[in-house]
Amino acid sequence: MAERQVTVEAEVGLHARPAATFVQTATKAPLDVTVAKGGGQPVNAKSILAVLSLDVRQGDTVVIKAEGEGADEILDQLALIASAP
Amino acid sequence: MTTVLAPVAGAAVGLRAVPDPVFSEGLVGPGAAIEPAREPGEAVSPITGKIVKLHPHAFVVVGDDGRGVLVHLGIDTVQLKGAGFELLVSEGDRVSAGQPVVVWNPLEIEAGGRSPVCPVVALDAAEGSVTTLAQGAVRAGDDLFLWA
Repeated sequence: MAERQVTVEAEVGLHARPAATFVQTATKAPLDVTVAKGGGQPVNAKSILAVLSLDVRQGDTVVIKAEGEGADEILDQLALIASAP
Repeated sequence: MTTVLAPVAGAAVGLRAVPDPVFSEGLVGPGAAIEPAREPGEAVSPITGKIVKLHPHAFVVVGDDGRGVLVHLGIDTVQLKGAGFELLVSEGDRVSAGQPVVVWNPLEIEAGGRSPVCPVVALDAAEGSVTTLAQGAVRAGDDLFLWA
């Protein structure tokens, strides 16, 4: 299981534009991807409802996980989106 | 099958009319938008369910079937940090379709240089699963779209 831990820098947190872009990117991956806030329960990174409900704010840390072929590539992309200011 | 109600009074328009590509390009999901009447008013819940996320400028209601609907009051209104919005319910509350959730004033939003248009989005909905039920004038609580 590969993972990335990043701090969310966007002022709005993982909402609106960053959340939509994050979920769109995760959805394109042919493998399961989860995201968790801090040490919390991981949720499906392909669900906009799940990601919005996580309520990730600016300065929060998220842990993104995926397993399988191409996991590192997708995690790198998602980490970039989640940490973008 | 979910009937999603208009959260505010005004004119029902397509999401394409929303001046924010996140909504107009359907990145958040399919749905509709309302160009709100320019008068102070209440935003009501579009479906019966639980308020899982409540911000002053936006909220998400999840029905018993697990389907979530996002109501966003105006564009870039997160920047207002709650000014001009009065919350009538709390996060975690159960609400009925048509129950008032937030008091707001589209006139103030517009006076601040922002669009008060309200995207109403079916979250995680499959493409093509939403059918528009209203175009043009709607009252808060009128049928807006059908989510198959």
